[in-house]
Amino acid sequence: MVSDTAPNPDIRISIRNLNKFYGEFLALDRLSLDIDKGEKIVVLGPSGSGKSTFIRCFNRIEPHDSGTLMIDGQVIDDRTDLATLRGRVGMVFQNYNLFPHLTVLDNCTLAPRLVRGTPREQAEEEARRYLAQVGIGEQAGKYPIQLSGGQQQRVAIARALSMNPEIILFDEPTAALDPEAISGVVAIMEDLAAQQITTICVTHEMGFARRIADRIVFMDKGSILEVAPPQEFFTAPRTERARAFLDQMIQF
Amino acid sequence: MKIHNFIRRSASYLITTAGLFATLCMMSHAGHAQSENVPSFATTGHFTVCTDPTLPPMTFVNGQDTRDLAGFDIDLARELGRMWHADPTILTMDFEGMLPGLSSHRCDMVISGIMKQAGREKNYDAAAYLDSSIVVIARSGTPRITSLDDLSGLNVAVQSGTSYATLVEKTNQHLIQSGRAPIGLQQYPAEDQVVQQVLLGRAHALITQDVEVYYRQKQLGGKVTIILKPDNPDFREFGAYISKDPHNKEILTQTVSSLKQQGILENLSRKWNISNAQEQAFTEKAAPSAFSLEVFFSALTSMAFVKGAALTLIVAVLSHLTAIVISIPVALKLNGPRSPLQMLLSAYVAVFRGAPTLLQLLFIWNALPQFFPIFRESWFTPFLATWLSLSINESAYQVEINRAALRAVDQGQLVAADALGMKRSQIYRHVIFPQALRIALPPTINEFISLLKTTSLASVISLQELLAVTQIQVARTFEFTEYYSAALVYYLAMVFFFLFLQKRIERRFSWADRNKATGHGQ
Repeated sequence: MVSDTAPNPDIRISIRNLNKFYGEFLALDRLSLDIDKGEKIVVLGPSGSGKSTFIRCFNRIEPHDSGTLMIDGQVIDDRTDLATLRGRVGMVFQNYNLFPHLTVLDNCTLAPRLVRGTPREQAEEEARRYLAQVGIGEQAGKYPIQLSGGQQQRVAIARALSMNPEIILFDEPTAALDPEAISGVVAIMEDLAAQQITTICVTHEMGFARRIADRIVFMDKGSILEVAPPQEFFTAPRTERARAFLDQMIQF
Repeated sequence: MKIHNFIRRSASYLITTAGLFATLCMMSHAGHAQSENVPSFATTGHFTVCTDPTLPPMTFVNGQDTRDLAGFDIDLARELGRMWHADPTILTMDFEGMLPGLSSHRCDMVISGIMKQAGREKNYDAAAYLDSSIVVIARSGTPRITSLDDLSGLNVAVQSGTSYATLVEKTNQHLIQSGRAPIGLQQYPAEDQVVQQVLLGRAHALITQDVEVYYRQKQLGGKVTIILKPDNPDFREFGAYISKDPHNKEILTQTVSSLKQQGILENLSRKWNISNAQEQAFTEKAAPSAFSLEVFFSALTSMAFVKGAALTLIVAVLSHLTAIVISIPVALKLNGPRSPLQMLLSAYVAVFRGAPTLLQLLFIWNALPQFFPIFRESWFTPFLATWLSLSINESAYQVEINRAALRAVDQGQLVAADALGMKRSQIYRHVIFPQALRIALPPTINEFISLLKTTSLASVISLQELLAVTQIQVARTFEFTEYYSAALVYYLAMVFFFLFLQKRIERRFSWADRNKATGHGQ
């Protein structure tokens, strides 16, 4: 586990005593965690445990209220340039949230062109490379509605990749996918890890979590209760709450 | 036709100062020395005749070019010029300005279908040049009556706000006192509609001036008949007015009477269909055909209709564009967090959606200038007033369309764009608005089509849009069916064009439809 004293600047991502309130409600309660470069973290926990809120702190879609969040030794707070931060920390959503009025290619080039000012030709060339990397290079000219769920999720990953991020946040990326499509996402995430891209993933899919995670983070009621490798977490959870959670998931 | 001009003509006028009269008398005596038979104002070889060209067949604009003046009065001015060896310059002006124009020397004469009345002759001199009378008209075959009292219990149509309405009300007082049923008074805004009520049988009779009816015999001949010519001292003869000057008055009276003796006035009466002989012809003439294709096509291709349609289109497009510009920030604000400004904007939307559009037009045109004198100035034209009212009115509706469209865009779109590091303005411009546009487009085009037709209300504040043009042409010709049909063709053509445009634009939104999306594999 991590020490509760000070953030460790040598670690890729270092979190200490992170708090987040919604009005009076404490959504995140003194979270502390260190994540290494290229690590695959899976955040598990029941609904409402604060998983999504937690990972949205990394790109400040949900700004934290107190505590410290450091990425590569740099403190992330309200003085951080959001465009730069979000260029470094990409995000993939459960419902993909592709831009339906743009082609697959334009989905991937919009942000680089607008945020980074990348010339269209260069942006398209890079986007085609990422689309090929996630296995849908031939779909570049289609609109999202013409694609299957699995294909759309790959576009969403390619769109995140097109900003060339160091970290990608996955918010339940497999919730709407069939088993075959899930396997595809697993392969892509392993590929990302091989490229030293850190992935932090919220999911309800135990099988998926077990296959990809380097470490499991278990959360409940806004707190981190356990951090362990999947083998250890799934066979011998240390907390009663995690055991109850796993029992329910297996029954289901 | 402007029957109310007769009332205006019956009103009394400003009394000019005695000093000014004295000056005029001195000047006219100076002219007298030069010529025995020419009034002092015409001795230079030129004189100015003022007229308000809104009373056919006396003085009016013939056809669609406003400079093309015609009528009995215009011809009379030329005949007088011929007699005096002087060129008349015809000056058109608003009715109220003409008689005072004599005092200010802007006008040497006023010949404008004005009744010769004792009240006016206190301040100005006048020479009678044409007899006239009030007439009561009913459908052909209706028996003649002997007095207005005989209309007891029947419906009579008149143009609203005219002295004829007053005449009927006076008769009614008298009828009620003697225990008889009053006349049912129906008032319509335009003379052509008054006539139409009689033709359709909704009204038993109508009241108007004889010269106008004779002039309209082409349209009315055979359909209606004169059932009474009540003798009213205020409506007996037309007079040509000049400044007070006994010498000039004498020459004018002599010149007019010699034109009469030469048969010239009689010729003019025939030319303009207002001689007494016309009354017989009027009553006997056969009815014209029901629908004339020739009239319809000439209306369709007339410059007046093209201009009217263009004005309708311009005012609708401008108003809607303005409304859209206003409505987008208002819609964004209304969809945002609660604030005092939001309550204010909600009230704005509620008020302008609630109030009738016609009322808003009348309010802005007639009531607003009472609060803000700047709106009384001439820059505030009917066009601007229409633009202003329709923009405000339409923006209230458009706000609701935009609000719904913006709400319908998935919130995840904003989050996804945000997570890519895009700025708020970029997100709205490139992600939210293009998607909201697809949802807003059909109801917006719908609103626009509705607005295109709502512009016809602006005819009440004298904007010469398509319906106003139609009504003016109908008033001139009484050819209801042909002109209404031509207007319908224009409205439908415009609406169909925008429906076509909508289809074309919707094609660009094929991305929203799996079966129609036109993207292709690469």
